[in-house]
Amino acid sequence: MTRLRIAGGTVYDPANGIDGEVRDICIDDGRIVADVPGDAARIDARGMVVMPGGVDIHCHVASGAVNVARRLLPEDHAHDPAAAPALDDAGTIPRSGTGGTVPSTFTTGYRYAGLGYTTVFDAAVAPLVAKLAHAQLDDTPIVDGGFFVLMGNDDFLLRQIDAGEHERAREYVAWLLGAAGAYAIKLVNPGGVEMWKRGSRERTELDTPIGSSRVTPRAILETLADAAVALGLPHPAHIHCNNLGVPGNAATTLATMRALDGRRAHFTHLQFHSYGGADGAWRSGAREIIEYVNAHPAVTADVGQVMFGAATTVTADAPVEYLLHKSSGRKWANVDIELETGCGVVPLEYKERSAVSALQWAIGLELFLLSSDPWRVVLSTDHPNGGSFMSYPTLIRLLMDRAFRDEQMRRVEPRLLAGSALTDGLEREFTLGEIAIVTRAGPARLLGLRDKGHLGVGADADVTVYANDSDRAAMFSTPRFVVKAGVVVVEEGALRRAPTGRRLHVRPPFDTAITRDLERYFDRYATVRFANFPVGELRDAPSPVAPALAEPRPR
Amino acid sequence: MTTGRVVTENVTCLGCGCACDDIAVVVEHARIVEARNACALGIQWFGDGTVPTRVRVDGRDVPLREAMLAAGQTLAGAARPLVYLAPDISCEAQRHGAAIADLLRGVLDTATSATALPAMLSAQERGYASSTLGEIRNRADTIVFWAADTAQRYPRFASRYAPEPAGTHIPDGRRSRTVVAVDVGSAAGPAEADRRVAIDAADELTALTALSALVSAREDGGAGYASCSGAAWDRARELATVLLAGRYVALVYDAEDVSSGADGRSVLRFDALTTLAQALNARTRAAAIALRAGGNRSGADATLTAQTGYPLAVDFSRGHPRYRPHDGSALARLARGDVDAALVLGSPALLPAETAAALGGVPCVVIGPRASDASLGSAHVVIDTGVAGIHSGGTALRMDDVPLPLRPPLAGPPNAADVARELASLIRQQWSSGEATQPARGTSGATPVAGAAEASR
Repeated sequence: MTRLRIAGGTVYDPANGIDGEVRDICIDDGRIVADVPGDAARIDARGMVVMPGGVDIHCHVASGAVNVARRLLPEDHAHDPAAAPALDDAGTIPRSGTGGTVPSTFTTGYRYAGLGYTTVFDAAVAPLVAKLAHAQLDDTPIVDGGFFVLMGNDDFLLRQIDAGEHERAREYVAWLLGAAGAYAIKLVNPGGVEMWKRGSRERTELDTPIGSSRVTPRAILETLADAAVALGLPHPAHIHCNNLGVPGNAATTLATMRALDGRRAHFTHLQFHSYGGADGAWRSGAREIIEYVNAHPAVTADVGQVMFGAATTVTADAPVEYLLHKSSGRKWANVDIELETGCGVVPLEYKERSAVSALQWAIGLELFLLSSDPWRVVLSTDHPNGGSFMSYPTLIRLLMDRAFRDEQMRRVEPRLLAGSALTDGLEREFTLGEIAIVTRAGPARLLGLRDKGHLGVGADADVTVYANDSDRAAMFSTPRFVVKAGVVVVEEGALRRAPTGRRLHVRPPFDTAITRDLERYFDRYATVRFANFPVGELRDAPSPVAPALAEPRPR
Repeated sequence: MTTGRVVTENVTCLGCGCACDDIAVVVEHARIVEARNACALGIQWFGDGTVPTRVRVDGRDVPLREAMLAAGQTLAGAARPLVYLAPDISCEAQRHGAAIADLLRGVLDTATSATALPAMLSAQERGYASSTLGEIRNRADTIVFWAADTAQRYPRFASRYAPEPAGTHIPDGRRSRTVVAVDVGSAAGPAEADRRVAIDAADELTALTALSALVSAREDGGAGYASCSGAAWDRARELATVLLAGRYVALVYDAEDVSSGADGRSVLRFDALTTLAQALNARTRAAAIALRAGGNRSGADATLTAQTGYPLAVDFSRGHPRYRPHDGSALARLARGDVDAALVLGSPALLPAETAAALGGVPCVVIGPRASDASLGSAHVVIDTGVAGIHSGGTALRMDDVPLPLRPPLAGPPNAADVARELASLIRQQWSSGEATQPARGTSGATPVAGAAEASR
C-alpha cells in the first residue's frame, strides 16, 4: 500500500492555490509526498477530477441520540438494506447493515467513503454517553472521526457562570473535553434546553435568565467561546443558536453573532436559524444573516441545507422536537440527559409542496449563493436533520447547475418565497474549485485540521478521484477512486477496503484542582461515579492544542 | 497468586439494570469476600467469584484451540445458524457476536425478545418520553410507580435514583417528592407511598387511556368527560389531579415483567403508558422509566441497533439485516425447527427457560460464563469465559443506556469478547482454506414476513 501515484488528473486543491491543474499526486506511507519512484503503484486519473477527501464538519452519525433514532425507525431501515461489500481485504470482516436516513454504523462508514468523504464529525454527544459515541465510531470504518461534546446546558458549567468563576469554567471545559474524548465544544440552544427541562415553554432569548440572572444564553456563549480560544482548541465553539426553527429567529441569530463580536465562533446549520417574520408568519431572513457573516471574518458557518425527501430530526434541542411532534403528528422520542442536556428525535419529510419546506430549501441555497467567502460558509445538511449525507451530490448539483436549480424551483410551493433572493434570480454557479472549498478545504480549515482538506506535501493521503461528468450529482455520488491514508478504499467505483479510521480528539491540560470540586459534585448529584465517567485512553493520540498566550478578554 | 486483601473500588454490578457502579469488591485468596454497597441481588450476582475454567468438546476436556476449531466447524457449515446473545457479557463481546451472525448469515437474537419485547415494539411504534435515571433523581417531584415495586427486582433504585436521594431540584430528597403507588390487580406499587390507587387488572387499559384523555384535555379540566363514569374513570380522575400538580413526573413501570405473558394486550399496555407520558408533556414535564433487568441486556439492544438498525430478532439470511420480531425470534425459530446450529454467547444459566428448552437437540456452541455448568440441549462445544464485570472488562449499559466501564476485581477464564473475535476470524479462515464449506444461501425457504417495521401504519 505504501507508494502510489495518482497520475494526470485535473487537481483541485484550493488550500494550495491549485484550481484545476493537471498534475500527479504522490503518496508514500499514508502521506502526500513530492514524488515517488517510477515503480510505485499508479492510478490513471487522466480526464478525471482529483480533490482532497471530503470533510464533514457537522452530522449525526455516532451518539446516544443517533442510536435512539436508529431504534425508533425500523421502517426506515427496512426499505434500504445494505449488503456487505465485497472487500479485497482478508483482515476485515465485511459487514452488512441498513440505510435509510439514519444508517447503521458500518454502512455509515462505507457510504461516506463511497461518496469520497474521509473525515466525519458527529456534532452532538452528551458527555455521559460519550463511550457509546466512541463504540459507534469504532464500528464506522474508513473515515477518521470525532465528535463535539454538548456543554451549553451543562449544570456544573452553569453553576460556575452563576458564581462568576470563569477560570474554573475554563478548567472544567478542558477536563470535560478530555474526559469525553471530544474534539470541540458544542452549544445547543444554550440555556434553552435547561429551561425546557424546567417546564418552560417560552422562547429563550439571549438575556433570558436561566434560573439565575447571572446565567443567560449570552453568558454561556461568551464563556464557552472564550474557553475555546483560551484553550487553543483547533475548532472554535460550535454553536446551534437559540430558537431553532422558529419564525423570526434571524433576530436571535444576529444578536448571538453580535454578542460574540470579534471572537472566533462557528454557527452551525445556519439555514435553521435564518427565518424572518414573526408570530407564525414565515419569510426568508437569509439575506440579513449572510450579509452579517460576509462582513465579519471571525464568523464561520455551515449551512444545514434542507433536501426534499425523508429526513430524521435528531437533536439535543429537545423542546424543538416536542414542537415538531405536535405539529407533524409523527412519533417522538425524548430522553432528558441528567445534568447535561436533552435529546429528541422525530422523523420528518420535507415536501416540495409544503410551503415551509420550500422556504427552508430556498433559504439554504440563498445562504450558499449569497456567501462571499466559501471558506467560511461550508456545506452540510445537518445529516440526518435536513436530509441524508447521501443527498450531498444532489446539493452540489444545485449549487453548480443553475438550470437544474431553476427546474427544481418551478416545482416547489412558492407561497412563502415572495421576496426571497432565490426567486429574484440568483445566477451564481459554484465552480469545482468552490465545491472543493465548501466540502473539504473549508471544513478542514475551520476544524483546524492542518493535514486534511489539501494535497500539499505532508498532508494526510486522503484523496478522491471523480469522473468529470457534466451531471455533477452523478459525478459526486460515484467517485472512481477514493484513497484514505494511502489505502485505495474505492477502486473503479467499488468499495474494496475498509481500514479502521483514526479518532480525532483533544486533551487540553487543566488544573487538577477542578477534579476535587467535581468529585464532590458527582457525589451529590451524579448517578455515575466520578472515576467511571471518563472514556479513558483512546487508541489514537490527541490532536495538539495551542493555548492562547493572552488571557481571554474580560467580560 | 495474590494473597492478602485487595479492594477494587467503583465496580459496576450487573445484578439488575440499575448497574450500580459504586461497589467496592474485597478479594482475599482469589475469592470475593465482600461486595460493599451491593444489595442482596448484587451480593448474589458477585458470589465468591469462583467460576469454572473448562474447555470441552463433546464432554471431553480439550485445549482451547481444538474447541475453537470444532466451534468454527459447527457454525461455519450450518445452513440455518442462530447466534444468541445471553446476559453477562460486555458490549464488546456483543459486537463480535453480531459480527459472527452477519458473517454466517444467521439469525441474531437476545434475551430481550423473550422478556421486554412488547415494550420495545411499543417504543418503536410510538417513541417515548423518557430520561436517564439521574434526571429523575435530580428533578422528579412526583413519582408514580405503576404496578411496579422496585424493592424486589431493582433493590437500590429507590436509594440511588428515586424517591430517596436529594437532587439539584429536589432539596429534601424523599420529603420533596410525592410518591404514588398504583396497584394493578396483584401487581402492587411500593409499600411506602404518599398516595395509593388500586385498579382492577381488567380496568388497567381503560384507566390509562382515560388518564391520557384527562391529561390532554385543556384548561377545562376534563369537564368534557364528565359523563364518563366507572371505577377506571374515577381512578383516572384521582391520578390526573396528582400528576398535573407535578413539576416533573416520573412514570416508573417494569418492561421486563413477564408474569402477564407477552400477549397482544402487552403492547397495548406499553402503548398506553407511553401515550400517557407523552401527553403529560403538554402540561408539565414527564419521563417514563421502563425498568430493565441486568446482565447488560440493554447493551445487547443498543449494540444490535447500532450495527444492524434493529434491536433484536435480526435475520441475516439474505445477506443483510431484516427485522423479524414477530416470527423470527430465537424461540420462534427453534420451535419451528428452523435452526441447525447455535452459538450461545453469554451465560447459559440466564437464558429464558423456554429458549433453553427449545435448544434441546440443536448442536450448540456455548461460550460464556459457567458454560460448562449448564446442560444445554446437545451442547457440543463449551468454552467457559469470565463474567463481564467480575473477571472480564469492557463496557456495559445501565437500563437507561448509560454506559459504564467494567472493572473486573478478579482474574479468570478468557474474556468472551476475545473468544468471539477469534472465532469470527477462524470461521473466515476455515471457509477460505476449505476446512469448512460455506453453505450456499438463497432466499428459498425463507418466508418473507413483515416485521413491526414493515407493518402498515
